[in-house]
Amino acid sequence: MRTNLKKCLAVAAVAALASALPMVAHHAVSAEFDAGKVITLKGTVSRVDWVNPHIFIYLDVKDDSGKVTTWRLQSVPPMFFKGSGLTKDKLLDGPEATVTAYPAKDGTEAFGFLLKLAYPDGHFYNLGGGNAPAAPPAPSSAK
Amino acid sequence: MEFRLTLHAVGAVSLGLALMAPLNAFGQELNYGPPASSYVTEALKYPDAATKPTPHMADGHPDLNGVWHHFFGELVHPVGAGSFALGFGGAAPAAKAGGPPPPRPRPDPVPEYKPEYVAKVKFFNDNQVKEDHALHCMNPGVPRIGPPQQIIQTANQAVFLYADSTGNQWRVIPLDGRGHGTDPEAEATDNGDSVGHWDGDTLVVDVTRLNRDNWLSDNGLFHSKNLHVVERLRRVGDTIRYEMTADDPQVLAKPWTISRVLTLQRDTLEAAAACVDNDQGHYVNQEHHDNAR
Repeated sequence: MRTNLKKCLAVAAVAALASALPMVAHHAVSAEFDAGKVITLKGTVSRVDWVNPHIFIYLDVKDDSGKVTTWRLQSVPPMFFKGSGLTKDKLLDGPEATVTAYPAKDGTEAFGFLLKLAYPDGHFYNLGGGNAPAAPPAPSSAK
Repeated sequence: MEFRLTLHAVGAVSLGLALMAPLNAFGQELNYGPPASSYVTEALKYPDAATKPTPHMADGHPDLNGVWHHFFGELVHPVGAGSFALGFGGAAPAAKAGGPPPPRPRPDPVPEYKPEYVAKVKFFNDNQVKEDHALHCMNPGVPRIGPPQQIIQTANQAVFLYADSTGNQWRVIPLDGRGHGTDPEAEATDNGDSVGHWDGDTLVVDVTRLNRDNWLSDNGLFHSKNLHVVERLRRVGDTIRYEMTADDPQVLAKPWTISRVLTLQRDTLEAAAACVDNDQGHYVNQEHHDNAR
């Protein structure tokens, strides 16, 4: 009985997910970002906008000359984090991270879709789901 | 554990499909309110809800107070050593992707438009990213916002609350016998002019003066200023049988009715985060998904 209930719950959760995800990913990522190209950045999270329909993470990226460019990275909806333990504070208080993202299709500079933040001690926040590739060796800045 | 693993594994697969899906075909899927399947999930959490006694207010009417829907969350989850992942990362079993599709609730009926308006629906669907106000942080309005997520009821009024991704919405519904407003100059609004009355044990909410810029649901299902919505709510144990009928004789060939079974939830309805339309101006095409409302 217990096993059956678990199976039912799993099936329901699957069905709910299948339709809930499009609800909040309301336009296609491909309408805005180039999913055929993954860029790698190295920087520090300087601001997090915890807003619908997607949170935005701002990443301060320093180039070789010391110039800082703030990247604006779109991510998933705030409700995806409910009950997870991954909070705005955790995102803001981390050290420098190696970050992968899809760049904007419209050519907007320093704008992308966040896939993954990876930290020097090995912990990571993979918000790209199955889409997030492993980060290649990180250059000091994008491009 | 079995549940969590399944949820997360399929979450990754679903997310991949959801985020990367191409332009949806016209009329591919009808959506009304939060996903129909989420009500199934909520019902399964309390399988004997309908057999519980039906509580009543001091005035003898059924007590509809409670939280009747909430987003289940936890799509992002800890994966050890301080790490978090959405779905199951790259470790989703391949068999899941190639396996049979999960069962889904019975599809909702599709609104039937008069022939002369079918092209207009197609135009809005084809241009949804631009034309759909609800994708730009505006209240989807009644009826698209769906069944109430929380109800606060007194003898003289019911208040419906919604934690919507466009922001927090509410409707105050008088139950004191008054009729609709009669000011012919009054503006139409997103949530319209709602008045309620009891038909036996069923709360009937009658809604007029709805904003014609809003849609009945996803995929370009527009309506005219003459839309008339009737919602019926009947409490059975710890469930509510909810039925919404949208009648718009100007554009619809016949009234459109949607039904849901809502299950009383123990969770608090958490307020939605503010909605900020940061995407405007960055779209390069009209690719979009089915949106659940």
